[in-house]
This record gives sequence, structure tokens and C-alpha cells, in this order.
Amino acid sequence: MTSDLADHAEHDLRYSRIRAAMADHGIDVLLAYGPGWRRENIRYLTDARVTGSAALVLLPATGEPVAFSTRLADLGVIAQRGWVTDVARLDIAGAAALVERLRDLAPSRVGVAHRELLPQALADAVTAAVPAAEVVSATALLDDARMVKSDWELAQMRRAATVCAAGWRKFVDVLEPGLPEYRIVAEVEAELKRLGAEDNFMLIASGGDEVTGMTPPGPRLLEDGDMVRTELTPQMNGYWLQICRSAVVGRASDAQRRSFDLFNEAVEAGLSVVRPGVTAHEVAVAENDVFRKYGYGEYCGARYTRVRGHGHGLHLDETPIIEGNHTVLPERSVFIVHPNTFTPIAGYHVLGDPVVVTATGYEVLIETERVLFETPQGVAA
Amino acid sequence: MKRGLVVLDPAEVPEQERAERVLRLQRRLADEGITIALDYADVHRSDDLAYLTNLCLYWNEGILAVPVVGEPAFLMKLSPRVHPWMRRSSTLTDLRSGKGFTALVEGLLAGVEPGVLGLVDAPLWPATAIEEVRAAAPGWEIRPLGGLVREQRLVPSAAERALLREAQAHLEAALTDAAAAAGGTRIALVERALRGAGFTDVLAEVVRGPDGVAALDVTGQYRFCWVRSARLVDGASEPWAGDLGRALAAAVAAVAPGVAPGVPVAAAEQVLTGLPADVIASATVVHQADLSTGGDYADPAERLPIGAVVVVGVEVLFPDGGRVAVTETVPVEAP
Repeated sequence: MTSDLADHAEHDLRYSRIRAAMADHGIDVLLAYGPGWRRENIRYLTDARVTGSAALVLLPATGEPVAFSTRLADLGVIAQRGWVTDVARLDIAGAAALVERLRDLAPSRVGVAHRELLPQALADAVTAAVPAAEVVSATALLDDARMVKSDWELAQMRRAATVCAAGWRKFVDVLEPGLPEYRIVAEVEAELKRLGAEDNFMLIASGGDEVTGMTPPGPRLLEDGDMVRTELTPQMNGYWLQICRSAVVGRASDAQRRSFDLFNEAVEAGLSVVRPGVTAHEVAVAENDVFRKYGYGEYCGARYTRVRGHGHGLHLDETPIIEGNHTVLPERSVFIVHPNTFTPIAGYHVLGDPVVVTATGYEVLIETERVLFETPQGVAA
Repeated sequence: MKRGLVVLDPAEVPEQERAERVLRLQRRLADEGITIALDYADVHRSDDLAYLTNLCLYWNEGILAVPVVGEPAFLMKLSPRVHPWMRRSSTLTDLRSGKGFTALVEGLLAGVEPGVLGLVDAPLWPATAIEEVRAAAPGWEIRPLGGLVREQRLVPSAAERALLREAQAHLEAALTDAAAAAGGTRIALVERALRGAGFTDVLAEVVRGPDGVAALDVTGQYRFCWVRSARLVDGASEPWAGDLGRALAAAVAAVAPGVAPGVPVAAAEQVLTGLPADVIASATVVHQADLSTGGDYADPAERLPIGAVVVVGVEVLFPDGGRVAVTETVPVEAP
């Protein structure tokens, strides 16, 4: 935080927003659960980076929150940050400290964020502590609260955008025939960490029109003419942002250029409908209509692709941009428009820009131009 | 994040050994009267899945189904477009994708005479996933099981020990180079070195205490073996920092087959006497098989089996949230 004043304002904004939602849903106690791969709500409520395999924040409708973690080191980090100063060790077997706090509060309705991931051992502990309480999911409550970003949150995401751009430059710089996929990742990862990224989510694929999706890297060696696709998603101060791009080792073929043109038109179409109140469904339809217009509609379905973009924030893969998801994307929400999928034109293609919804439309958050990148190393430059 | 090299190499772990891992589990299932074992995995906790199939679950969640006889199947929330990669990089041939576990388990059980579904590490399963399984299996007994697969993983094979040695050598070299470098570049150097050497996952952190003392603490996954090393990189000459090394040596000396982790932990903590005020000092003994979760779910009373490999650590937590740690990897061998 830049100042105590800003810190208090951010804290108060989040807690008042969540407590208002708790009141709307009749929730006396909120339990935000964070397993090792879904810690976004812990970060939102503590502004601390935890490392334990399981963590929880207990937030009563009135009174002070309590944070729990399986990792002793997390407790000092959370307390030192100052948003939650009451901390306790989380023992999965029995969860005595959690049980004791819940019993004292005697809630009649408990909302659990990430209830769908809560281990049986902790679910049993909650039941044992408050057997008469109704336990409901509060996952959507937290998702909704996190969707609208504050000025401070947007500042963190702009920092991540800068790192995205630098990571992509490094990616293109290292591409050359004979380089194994996993070495690309090593170089990019080093660059992102040098720039202060806490973490990064990255998938990759290299090759020709046989490529159907991105995965972790393998030992495959790059060849002249390969299209190398990636999504880079650095995390800065908790906040993830993604860039989706493809680059050709050497000169792009006509098919690769045609593929880029199709995907770029789809990105533009998706962006063109972004405004406060647009739904995820509407953005996805705008993207997919471009594919349908050119006879590639079948490649917009689940067989070939997962989503046409997704939200960003303290989790890297928030609201899915997909047909049928009528979630409203309000002003200050952040998401990436990426129509990534396979087509027979040039195989799986990756292209997309993250945006923030503004009062009048949208702002693209990354500076990297949206072109099909080529490298000079693959041809006699 | 699991974004490093994923490879299936029979030269590293012979196909026969991989098959034997599944067969060993199936013999156990037969002994316990289990028809099909279900083992839940997510991106954070998927070592059982990796051990049995070499599959890297780089995102989302899934359930590995191991019948008492026959081939395992993986039920997942990832889309079918990654199946070709999964077939190339794992031993799995039966891959099933869907939005929820109920339909996937229903499909798995279709045409199978009802019997006993065993949930491996049941207390760690999401309760809702258990409900989904239960809804898909009318007529079946749902039986909670302990860490059957983890038990197999505790004592590495010769092939795994070779991979662990290779991984540890890469890790120690990376730490040595990073320790000699400027503070701001250390994590980047570790990432480049380890991912460049083929590590699948790297969790690297520079941790700091008072008096300019800092340590580099790195946990990494190489193939599906985990290694950890933490060492002082700044301020090692501080008197209290010397205590950490002495405590670590005391803990290491107390590691022996049949002892509980509490024994070396107590040995270390007796030595930690000269530390700054208001600190929390502790020691840990974590199986390499548990490093992905830092030993968070391990039973502190569990005895160390002969042939296991453990990471002994001494950690000091400071009131300002700072932390300093040192570790040593120790094979559990008879004296």
C-alpha cells in the first residue's frame, strides 16, 4: 500500500462490500476457504500472501475476523500485514481452533466461500462446531465482491500488464530452431521473476496445424516455420493478468497469416461489445459469430476450446467468457478476450488482450501490439 | 505453478516399475475388499496421480479411478482437447472429461456390478466431491480409506532415488550460483537454472530475518520427485545464525528408522537457545513424498520407515513476519 490512508480505505471498501453481501444473504459468519491452488479470497481478506496447503478466514457479521493456516509461517505474515491480527494454526484433523471460534459465535447461517473445495475433514469440523447451523455456499458472494476493482487493484494490474509485455518480449527474443519448449519457459520465467512477479501461469504449444491446444512444455525442439503459442499470466502483488500471443519461428506462412486475421477479427468483435453491463455471453457470441461467419463455428465448442476469455484479479481464471454465462461484467471488471481455439487453417491459435471495463467502453491494459510475431532467426536474415 | 517440463521417459522409470506401482495398489485393494479406488487430485495435491500414471495435472481437478483388476481411468474437469497430450505424457489410456464428477462416475460404473468404492485419503477430498460420487453410485458402499498411495510413495525405488539425486544436484548448484549473485537476481537465477534443467515446478523464496540474515528456500519438482533446499545466503556469520546449523545437525543426527518425526524435532529445538527475543523456532521433518504440501497433512506420530528420504528443516519465525530456514535432505538408514 502507498499510505496508511489508502490502506485503510482499501480494507474498509472490501470489508464493507462483503458484509453488505452477507447481510443480503442472511449470513452470520463467512468462512473463506483457500486450498493451495485457490487462495484468492484469503488474499482479498488479509492482503497477505500465504503458502499453506489450506487456509481460512472467518469473518463474523460483526466483530473481528480470524485467519487460519496449516503453515505456521503464514500466521506471522498475516498478522504483520495488519488486516487480520487474530491468527491461529489450522489443524486439518479436528480443526480445534476453528471449532472453538465457531462455537463461540453460534451462527445460524454459515456461508462458505469455495465450499465446493472444502475438505471433508473441515466440513465435519464445521458441522461438529455448529450442528444446528445452515451451511451454504458463499463462493459467488466473494466472486461478485472481487469482480469490481478499486483504483488500487487496477494499479496492481497495470503493473502486471507491464510485466506481461516484458515477458512476451523475452519469449519472442529466445525463439530459435533447436530450442526445446521447456527452455523457453525457463527464460521467460526468469525474466518475470526478475521483474518482481510472485508467480506465473503459462501454457505453451509449438508446431504446425496439428497443434490442438496448449499444455505444459515438453522436450520438443523448435523448427523453422513453427507457430509457438503461449499465454503468459504473471502475478504481481497478488493480481494476475494475461497476455495471449502467437509467434512464428522465421517467416509466417499464408495460412498462419490467414489464421491470425480470423482470430484478430474475433478479438476485435469481442472488444467491440464491451461496455458496462455487457454479459460474458454477449462477448463470447461476438467472438464466435466471426468464426461462424467464415464457416468455422464448430471450432467454438467444447471439443476444441474451453472459454473465449475469462476474468482476472486475485485469481487468474475468474468469470468464464462463454456462451450461456449471463454474468454481467460491470464497470471496473477486468477480463481477457481470447478466442483461442483450433482451426484447420493453421492449428491452435492464441490471441487476446486483457481489458478493464470503463464508463464508456473498455481500456486495453497491455501495450503489446496485436500482430502475428515473426523471428529473424528462423530464416537467413 | 506446474509449467516446466513434463516428460514420460522409460529410461528414467522403467515401464515395468510403473505397472508394478498400480499392481501393488491393486493387491492392496483386493486385500481390503475394494472394487474400485478413487483418488482425488487437484493442481496443488496430485502426487498420487503422478506416481501411478505420470500425468501432470497442471490445472483444475480430477479423480483417478483404479479398479481392483484392469486399467486405471482418469475423470477430469479439463476438456478433451488435452487428451492427446495426456496420452503422450502419461500411461493412461482411459481419459474422461466432464463438467461434474457425478456424470463421470456414473459413466465409469455403468454396467459394473455394485461393490465397494474406496476413497483414498478421504478426509482431504472436497466434501461436495464425495457427495457427487455418492449420488453417482446407488447400491455401492462408499468406504473412506487412508493414504494408500502415499504409503507406497514414502520409500523411493532405485529409479526414483536416482532422479532425486539428480534433482538435488541441480538444486544445490542453482543455490550455490544464486547465493553468489546480487540479492535482486537470485530468484530469477534459480528459476532459469532449474526450469532449464527440466524441473516441472519451482517454488523459490528469499526469506529474511533481522541482522541482515537471509536464506534462499527452494522447493522443486523434477519429473514427479520433490526436493527442497534452504540455506543461508546473507548474514551467516551472525552468532544466532550459527545456532540454526547446530540445531539442524542435531536433528539430522536423530533421524533413524522407526523414530517419530518428533524425535529429531525435539533434538533441534533443544539447541535453539541463542535466538533473538520473541521468535518462534521450530524444526520439521518432511518426507520428500509430502513436499508438495509441505508436510501439512502428515501425521506427526508416523514413524520413519527405513529407505525413506526426508527433508529436515530448522525454521525461525520473527515477529515482523520474517522467516529464516535451513534444511538438509536425509535418507532414513540403519546406523
